[in-house]
Amino acid sequence: MNKPDSKQQNLRTAKPFARAMALLGLTVCLLVTDSGFAGESPATEYQVKALFLFNFAKYVDWPAAAFTNAAAPITIGVIGTDPFGDYLQNAVVGKTINGRPFIIQHLAADADLSGCQILFVSDSEVSRIGGILDKAGALPILTVGEDEEFAQKNGIINFVLKDGKVRLEINLAAARKAGLTMSSKLLAVADLVKGKTN
Amino acid sequence: MFKQLSLPKLILSGAALAYLLMVILADAADTNQAAASGDLENFSLEQLVNVQVTSVSKEKSDLFTAPAAIYVITQEDIRRSGMTSIPELLRMVPGLDVAQIDANHWAVSSRGYNDQYANKLLVLIDGRSVYTPVSAGVFWNVQDVPLDDIDRIEVIRGPGATLWGANAVNGVINIITKSAQDTQGGLVTVVYGTENQPYTTVQYGGQLATNLFYRAYVTYFNRDNFVDATGQNTADAWNAIRGGFRMDWEPTAENNFTLQGDYYSLNAGETIDETTLTPPFVNRVNFVDDDTGGNVLGRWTHNYSDTSQLSLQMFYDRSEQGDAPIVIKNNTYDFDLQHRFALGSRQEIVWGAGYRYLTEDIANSDFFVSFSPTSDHDQIFSAFLQDDITVIENRLHLTIGSKLEHDNITGFEVEPSVRLAWTPTKKQTVWAAVSRAVRTPSYSELDILENRSFNPPVLATVSGNPSLNSEELTAYELGYRIKPIEPVSFDVATYYNVYDQLIAPVQGAPVFVPPAGPVIVPLTFENVQHADTYGAEVSGEWRVTDNWKLVASYTFSETHLSPTQGYDNNPQNQFQIRSYVNLPHHVELDGAVYYVDQISPPLGNASTTIPAYARVDLGVTWRPVKTLELGIFGQNLLDGNHPEFTSYKTTVLTEIPRSIMGRITWRF
Repeated sequence: MNKPDSKQQNLRTAKPFARAMALLGLTVCLLVTDSGFAGESPATEYQVKALFLFNFAKYVDWPAAAFTNAAAPITIGVIGTDPFGDYLQNAVVGKTINGRPFIIQHLAADADLSGCQILFVSDSEVSRIGGILDKAGALPILTVGEDEEFAQKNGIINFVLKDGKVRLEINLAAARKAGLTMSSKLLAVADLVKGKTN
Repeated sequence: MFKQLSLPKLILSGAALAYLLMVILADAADTNQAAASGDLENFSLEQLVNVQVTSVSKEKSDLFTAPAAIYVITQEDIRRSGMTSIPELLRMVPGLDVAQIDANHWAVSSRGYNDQYANKLLVLIDGRSVYTPVSAGVFWNVQDVPLDDIDRIEVIRGPGATLWGANAVNGVINIITKSAQDTQGGLVTVVYGTENQPYTTVQYGGQLATNLFYRAYVTYFNRDNFVDATGQNTADAWNAIRGGFRMDWEPTAENNFTLQGDYYSLNAGETIDETTLTPPFVNRVNFVDDDTGGNVLGRWTHNYSDTSQLSLQMFYDRSEQGDAPIVIKNNTYDFDLQHRFALGSRQEIVWGAGYRYLTEDIANSDFFVSFSPTSDHDQIFSAFLQDDITVIENRLHLTIGSKLEHDNITGFEVEPSVRLAWTPTKKQTVWAAVSRAVRTPSYSELDILENRSFNPPVLATVSGNPSLNSEELTAYELGYRIKPIEPVSFDVATYYNVYDQLIAPVQGAPVFVPPAGPVIVPLTFENVQHADTYGAEVSGEWRVTDNWKLVASYTFSETHLSPTQGYDNNPQNQFQIRSYVNLPHHVELDGAVYYVDQISPPLGNASTTIPAYARVDLGVTWRPVKTLELGIFGQNLLDGNHPEFTSYKTTVLTEIPRSIMGRITWRF
């Protein structure tokens, strides 16, 4: 493959390696001086959504009956295609709220939901939202979705992307029906939405 | 020769400049690192609802219901492919035909008519057209951006003339880079392997003021010669240095400003057969094209409301492009206005107006190739209006529109289209479209005089024709998308294209020059050809598990020319399958197989069949820590040497080698 003839000597650069080294040298120099203020790439949608799920646990009170005992973990169920990658795990790992650690469970659409305190309904379940919410609605589960109509369909919290920001919609009636109490701090940053009565 | 000696200095001074910039901006840069995930975790609810996030979900749903054959290459596809140039990345798109001619030339086309100077495809980089009016094609070897900065590449097969105007005949490729806000921090990428020796990008992005972000980059690569069937090197090595910047400013929620620019300088080898008046009439020469160019683009977007958006864009682009033996100097000044707004609850109107001024100068004309006149210019006025009508909410959409253009060469052109999308359920879309598109004649077809040896002493004299009209296309398209079950989706697009007034050379009476002179065969470009083409593109995606994705596509295309002279250089069948596996410990294992049917393009004097070939790529990447990614890629692993294409200009049939490379990506 490498058979440069004399005509090509000038085109085949004489010292590619030297150039690479020069660039690398410069880079190292940049790294040493700049590492102090270097930042990271901006947040992705699901990184932020994962952090919201963790924060919800701080600002929502479940009835005592929602947990098997005082030290039982808070279970976050993810139903449908998991869009979080590592973000959800990273958001809750090692964290406790009121002494409760977190557990993440992946659930099929027809799974038993009663062990969950927070249920995230992925975008992939759009066509099954009605059925899932019917099942979860009567239980003390904080349902969280990301479909335009999620809160209208009596989901409790919906993520809405607006101007590249993740905003919240809350259906208070649905929260009350599930026996959940929401902190005013959470309500203050959300838009309140009414459910469609069928 | 050329810039060889000054290149290292150029790199050093470029990098030094970038470094200086960073030191100066260091104070400004540390203010908004809000997005750093370490901080995010401690954000309050009020802060979280205000974090700017990157997302593609809106686009995804739009893609599923779009009334056109659209395919998107994502940043993840790019990163995991290991490919190192824009034309190579386009191999992933169903319905495109991508063939590498030699180390630095490609033929890329959509739905037929592929050539080194494929003239029915429009390519835009961040809204800047890189279509060359001289050849009506794209010089792929000067089109580049740091691949990590590409947000996505959107490819529309079929006519896009209603929005994009003349020359968006068979397809539109939109290369869209990330906002400067999305590329904060430092980035160093080094690729080293059998072809890239090396390919390096150094970039830094920071913040200058509230909501004012920037990035600046320098890239350099040096690529090896390929070889022919006998193992002889084909004198097509190339190297390039490129630098650029982008700034994005959002002073208020309603206003966005973008300013960006690039400059490049490269050397690329090619071998041509120069024609001479005396025996043996042919003189084979190794050329090194010395190309430089740059551009600057500004865009202002104003949101009057959620449903009304105005965008104003201006750019200037200059290039000096070697296309041995000639050198093409091109200047483009472009101004574009676009306004999108909702009219009532059922209509979305997009309208726009544009002005473009182009100048062309041809240098280094000789007996082989000359232009008359050697300088030319054109101005194009255009306006378009498109209405997207919701006939039945969430079910039936009708899109009608037209472009009206005026240029100095062919006068007024009208390019209407009607598109209909029916979404019976959220999981199915049926769409259909009828559209008209035109291609304006290139300067070559208007002004060239080329004396070309075919089987010496036969000398073909190809003359341009200043009275040519535009080529015309009427395209009929029908498509279907379905997600039968959640992890699987399919996309089928079919088309029937009717071309008229196609420009082709017409032969005149031969002239004999006694006693030992050549036999001269005059050829003149005329609007004489008619063609029907049809085909289908089927693609599918299957998420086998959460950690394994398969993507596959099949492309069929058929061309009928009338009269039949001219050549059919289309692979009738193409197939590809790509696999993406995520393993534990941040390891990714990816592979791809591409199959391309045989083609019969002409090689210099005779038609040569390029046999079908299969290409196998494999790649492994590993992210030991968040800021570092290591990758090893093998490309074209099955077949060490096969040719993919020859253009009419090709003199030496070049084989595409197997390549192995390593890549380090470091973010800081």
